[in-house]
Amino acid sequence: MSAAPASPGPSTPAAPPEGREPVFHVRGLTKVYGTGEASVTALAGVDLDFFEGELIVLLGASGSGKSTLLNNLGGLDAPTGGSLSYRGWNLGEADEESLTRYRRDRVGFVFQFYNLIPSLTARENVALITEIARDPMPPEEALHLVGLGNRIDHFPAQMSGGEQQRVAIARAIAKRPEVLLCDEPTGALDVHTGITVLEALEHINRELGALTVVITHNAIIAGMSDRVFTLSDGRIVNVRANATRAAVSSLEW
Amino acid sequence: MTPLDRKLFRDLWGLKSQALAVASVMACGLAMMIMARSLILSIETARDNYYRDYRFAQVFAQLKRAPMPLREELAKIPGIGTVQTSIAMMVTLDLPDMAEPAMGLIQSLPEHGELQLNRVHLRRGRMLVGPAGHDELLVSEAFAEAHGLQPGDRIAAILYGRKQTFRIAGIVLSPEYVYEALPGVALPDNRSFGVFWMPYKELATATELYGAFNKVELTLAPGASARAVIAAVDRLLEPYGGRGAYARQDHYSHMRLNDEIRTLTVLSIGFPLVFLSVAAFMVSSVMNRQITMQRGQIAVLKACGFSNRQVGWHYLKFALVIVVVGAGLGVLGGIVLGHRLVDMYHVFFRFPALHFLLDSRVVAIATGLSALAAIAGVWGSVRAAVRLPPAQAMRPEPPASYRPSFLERTAFGRRFPASLRMALRNIERRPLRALLTSVALALATGILVVPNAINDGIDYVLNFQWDLIQRHTVMLSLNEPGPPRALADLRSLPGVVRAEPFRAAAVEFRNGSRTRLINVVGLPSDATLDRVLDSRSRRIALPPHGLVISAKLGEVLGVKPGDPLVMRVLEGRRPQLVVPVAEFCDDFAGVTAYLDMAALNRALGEGDRISGAYLTVADGQWREFLRKIKETPKTRSVVIKAAMRASFRQSTEQLIGVIRMIYLVFATVVAFGIVYNSTRIALSESQRELATLRVIGFTQGEVGAVLADELVLLTLAALPVGLLLGSVFAAGIVTSINTEFVRLPLVFTAANYAYAVMVVALASLLSVVLACRYLNRLDLVGVLKAAE
Ligand SMILES: Nc1ncnc2c1ncn2[C@@H]1O[C@H](COP(=O)(O)OP(=O)(O)O)[C@@H](O)[C@H]1O
Ligand SMILES: [Mg+2]
Repeated sequence: MSAAPASPGPSTPAAPPEGREPVFHVRGLTKVYGTGEASVTALAGVDLDFFEGELIVLLGASGSGKSTLLNNLGGLDAPTGGSLSYRGWNLGEADEESLTRYRRDRVGFVFQFYNLIPSLTARENVALITEIARDPMPPEEALHLVGLGNRIDHFPAQMSGGEQQRVAIARAIAKRPEVLLCDEPTGALDVHTGITVLEALEHINRELGALTVVITHNAIIAGMSDRVFTLSDGRIVNVRANATRAAVSSLEW
Repeated sequence: MTPLDRKLFRDLWGLKSQALAVASVMACGLAMMIMARSLILSIETARDNYYRDYRFAQVFAQLKRAPMPLREELAKIPGIGTVQTSIAMMVTLDLPDMAEPAMGLIQSLPEHGELQLNRVHLRRGRMLVGPAGHDELLVSEAFAEAHGLQPGDRIAAILYGRKQTFRIAGIVLSPEYVYEALPGVALPDNRSFGVFWMPYKELATATELYGAFNKVELTLAPGASARAVIAAVDRLLEPYGGRGAYARQDHYSHMRLNDEIRTLTVLSIGFPLVFLSVAAFMVSSVMNRQITMQRGQIAVLKACGFSNRQVGWHYLKFALVIVVVGAGLGVLGGIVLGHRLVDMYHVFFRFPALHFLLDSRVVAIATGLSALAAIAGVWGSVRAAVRLPPAQAMRPEPPASYRPSFLERTAFGRRFPASLRMALRNIERRPLRALLTSVALALATGILVVPNAINDGIDYVLNFQWDLIQRHTVMLSLNEPGPPRALADLRSLPGVVRAEPFRAAAVEFRNGSRTRLINVVGLPSDATLDRVLDSRSRRIALPPHGLVISAKLGEVLGVKPGDPLVMRVLEGRRPQLVVPVAEFCDDFAGVTAYLDMAALNRALGEGDRISGAYLTVADGQWREFLRKIKETPKTRSVVIKAAMRASFRQSTEQLIGVIRMIYLVFATVVAFGIVYNSTRIALSESQRELATLRVIGFTQGEVGAVLADELVLLTLAALPVGLLLGSVFAAGIVTSINTEFVRLPLVFTAANYAYAVMVVALASLLSVVLACRYLNRLDLVGVLKAAE
């Protein structure tokens, strides 16, 4: 894995083999939408540390703040309070430009509704990102990694939901991200397709060693992860570590 | 090509009909601007080259008769460059192809050497060389073309009462007659008036002016003041019947040319500006819609690490591609139309060479301005979209909330059909969108009013000039002012039903430092054949004292009714007097000054005299009448209204017709573009709801009716506003066509308004049909699934 980010943020020493340095270090994180009576507290003080190479699952009811947390980690949204650092760099208070650099160079996103550009083919959707990334893999390679080598020149409208989601994953990993953030990647998919998508994520987490955070409603998926965080009303109410990660195919839906 | 650019082109392709509608509106504006500005550049360049190469004079004077040696005196005036003296004589021509007489102005060529100033350009045939050119002359091209005259043909003229036949040696052009018309006549008629050149000796002998001259042209030394030179020339020429020297800016042909340029300038700004603003508005509405629909895509691009600048630039490029297409079409259209019009201008303005020159500076400026306007139009929504945190942009928009509309809540409204109720709810729910659509429809209506208002203005002027003011068939001027008996002679010509005398005199009006050379016309107090009318076509009775002048002349001289004006008569006993301005008349073509005939005769102090008469002639004896006046040596000029009108039909009307057509076609294209575009945007905004209606069981027809009802309601609201808006646009453009030659009145006819309403209604209908076809082909599930 690469060392600390050259930019943005100050450099941090490489994580020692033992007593590991966290990738994300979060303390008392809050996020309030709106002001006054109409305000909604999405995060009400979250503490956590995520480490290099981990596969994390976030569980929680709808509206519990999972997406908000993920968006804050990915630099898509800024917290209202608390501290949020990425490898020692103060992500919570970064300016727009360094957030853009951060997202471009280090973060891969996968969304529930795929969010592909409809007017671009699978290859072009991936190429969109590899054009601007620092050290990308060829779009074809990324599509092969998710098992889509044969649908390279198809448009999103010509693909099934599972295929579209795998294109989205290819798009997220083609930049060789340090963190891969997935917001309900299987939410819109049937069981079988969901499994192929999760397998792809699992595979990539192992291959690239990227810290991977997956949001889901489905507690059973949690078995494939290293650690499981459960959110409720904007707080972490439970953390569970799995001794071993279960194979995706063995999960019971 | 980067994937993002590929996205750009594919998205644009999906938007092609709207993008094309916007681009064509922009193209119309640009084409019009480029056409007009390029015509101006072409005409100005041709004019400047012509004036320089053929040494067009800077000061001009006509006089009765001065002896040759006076020329040396003139040359001594400080500030003068070159002096040229010559003879110019009005003659009656007898042409085999015309029953009526034509007028010719014959000018002399120097006895020795070539013309120093106002040199002629040989088109065909040959020049007259030395004394060999006996019984030969040169003829102006406009006249030669009107009569199909060739070098070698013969032409008969009545010179000093003697009919002589001449051979045409060559066909020429002169910088003095770029616009060739009888001075003082509002419209050109190249059939009944032409200019000729013949050697001095011959012309002078025939007109009993040998050893004398009656025309002076000169150039100024560098840095000399025209005003001082003119004053000195006037002093020298006064004893010889000088008619007042004048500078180039008062030269008839030059003025007419400048007027045309001024009119083109007005047209190059007013119309195109309206069109280009409409185009900017359309770019903005198309792009705002596009950006709203792509909120999610913008969020993804940002989540993936595209910077605000990259995303913003991507959307600005949308607008710029449309601008590039529009500019391309516009430049092309401007060039094609410009070429076509330059050829037509050749009929009115004769240059040795009039080539189309593309005004590339204007192309650059106009394109740049369009781009800026388009950027300004999309800037706001691009910025708003880019600023939205990506996490938020990805959340779907909250669902639309419906409630019964205001009208439905009234007792009457409950009887509305379902589609109308739905349409009303749609309008009430998105008032801003409804407002924008209505504004666009109103603009479309307004634009259509302008070209027809100009047409109607021109028609009104022609009608006013020819039917209301001039009720005579012929205007006949005498060589010399004659006694009242001369009127009796004219009255006794065959077929004359009515004859009314007029007295005319060349004068200089002065108010402070402002001066103007003009013919003041005296009419009897009971005149009916040439009438003075006010702006509402009501007859103005000439007061016993005091002038009635064109409002425009009042403006030029800086006087208002009641003010005194110095009138210096430039002929006869040359009195100078102060006459009050009694009233203004609002005429439209040329400028005139009227005085009661008795008062004018008193002022001139030559007794009871007439300069000519207006005649009405019975149809049955028309040919006989013409034959007779062809032989009358005393007539200086004969202006036949019908001939004038026919010639106008053939020439001017053709040019005006083409320009009208261009403008009307452009306005119609623009109106269609606006209406179609607004319908598409409305459709795109409500397609989710319409698709929902289809899914829950509404038929295609019922859903189409919702869309149609909404557009009909908005169109009904827009039409009156549009007609009002159009009238305001038209007022702005029409009243800025205001020169000494033509002023257009504001005329709004029912037909004009009806046309505008009809085009917009038709465009709306067509757009609804297209929209319904689109709706019927729509993938319903796809629309409902797509998260906006
Ligand atoms: N942009 C926003 N504006 C207002 N409220 C929001 C916004 N985004 C999320 N929320 C609110 O914050 C809470 C947490 O939302 P979210 O993080 O999306 O939950 P989850 O992903 O766990 O379902 C919810 O109550 C939601 O309505
Ligand atoms: Mg969520």
